[in-house]
Amino acid sequence: MNKVWPFVVLGLSTANVTLADAGDPQEGGAWLMKIAHASRHLNYSGTFVYRHGNKSETSSIVHYVNSGGGEFEKMEVLDGPAREVVRNNDQLTCYLPKSKTVIIEQRDVRQLPVLLPERMPDILENYVVRKTGTDRVAGYDCNVITIEPKDHLRYGRSFCAEVHSGLPLRSRTINDEKQAVESFAFTQLSIGGKFNRDMVKSKYASKSHNWHIDRSALNVSEKTEDTGWVLNNQPPGFKKVTEVKRSIAGRPGTVSHIVFSDGLSAISVFIESMPKERPAQTMVHQGAIHIYTRTYAGHMVTVLGEAPAATVMQIANSLELRTHAPLPNNGSHPLK
Amino acid sequence: MDKISALMDGELDEDEVSQLFSRLKPQGEMRESWDTFHLIGDALRGDCCLSPHLSQRIAERLATEPTVLAPRRSAPKRVNTYVLSAAASLSAVALVVWVAFSIHPLGPPPQEMAKAQIPAVRPVPATDQIASISDLSARGNMNEYLLAHQGFSPSTAIQGVVPYIRSVSDSQPSR
Repeated sequence: MNKVWPFVVLGLSTANVTLADAGDPQEGGAWLMKIAHASRHLNYSGTFVYRHGNKSETSSIVHYVNSGGGEFEKMEVLDGPAREVVRNNDQLTCYLPKSKTVIIEQRDVRQLPVLLPERMPDILENYVVRKTGTDRVAGYDCNVITIEPKDHLRYGRSFCAEVHSGLPLRSRTINDEKQAVESFAFTQLSIGGKFNRDMVKSKYASKSHNWHIDRSALNVSEKTEDTGWVLNNQPPGFKKVTEVKRSIAGRPGTVSHIVFSDGLSAISVFIESMPKERPAQTMVHQGAIHIYTRTYAGHMVTVLGEAPAATVMQIANSLELRTHAPLPNNGSHPLK
Repeated sequence: MDKISALMDGELDEDEVSQLFSRLKPQGEMRESWDTFHLIGDALRGDCCLSPHLSQRIAERLATEPTVLAPRRSAPKRVNTYVLSAAASLSAVALVVWVAFSIHPLGPPPQEMAKAQIPAVRPVPATDQIASISDLSARGNMNEYLLAHQGFSPSTAIQGVVPYIRSVSDSQPSR
């Protein structure tokens, strides 16, 4: 019995510390995990609006988990040209009827990002996560979970999570000036109810047999590879989470793909051989995503991620080959 | 150990109490990180479990309990009451500890968590090296890259397929 007493006393002091804090970080973190859990495990269908800049797009979405734990999703864009994204566990298929194209992205389930408690320390190192209030979205009461960055290298987030299930009804990406650069918000939603597999099948599934098919897949080697590329000025808080050689739909040859993440945002680096037409140095953006293209040592480098332009650029500009051995003439493969 | 149980039973004098608390305090802060991560882990596995308000509720209940830090001579009946409520608190806290350890037996030691610091911010290259940042829709097609990237983004873990709208976006100005 005596051995347990220290835990009791320590537990009491923990409770007191928690009570003294204005926003409860423990509660904020727990809500974030609840949001991720709800997104993966609940059946729901609804309509959401994606806004970025002065643009908006409305889509319908159905998420269905079968009794065996298989996860199926279908998103259909309702404005402008018809487009559908269907997810079948770890395979993602985009149907683009306008150009009669199907893009298939096969993902390695072991490399999929999952919000594990092991990643929470990363998030809490770079952000302050708090429950800051309540709101109402698509007819549901929700808790506002605010994620504030601790520096200017990353964007903030704000989620409104349905009070009972934790399903994210609205998410915003917030810049330095406290303005939303991008948002997703449900306008109509039903949680639970009767679902079946047909609801998450594409209406183009049979029509698309003779369409152009672009496949994108990770290399057969399942483990992280050493592509030979390193950063000499890695932004603080970002860690390398994966490094692979892969194919990318519509791109010739092998592409080195390195991903850096601070727990909440990810930045991808794609390095490939120089195309015939040398690309210009450009920075483009769409909502929270910045995309920077440059050339380096006979390669084309594309860096993109949900982070401010300066962070994306810092990664792109600090990229270098680790060794100084001569580059292959065609530049198609980075050094090993 | 005996001192702690004496503290719980309110049998220590003021000097001893403050001495004991100053020894426990740093460990208490450590425990906070420890408990936070494990409560989060529990919430994810999600399956059950401890409410995010648990610590708050425990704290609130404790706040309404009699203060026992002041030295007391004898109050046998009240001691009995207190022992019961202490036992109730004990079972709650023991549950937290047990759940935490059973979920994450090989987790990093609390010292490491306590060491987590905000990294120093290094100078960031100015964006004005680029004349302007144009909207993606005005420039070439990046959808395949976006698609390949999205699979690795934690936003996919948090929101499922919703962020994939970025890779097939063909947005029109808001009406």
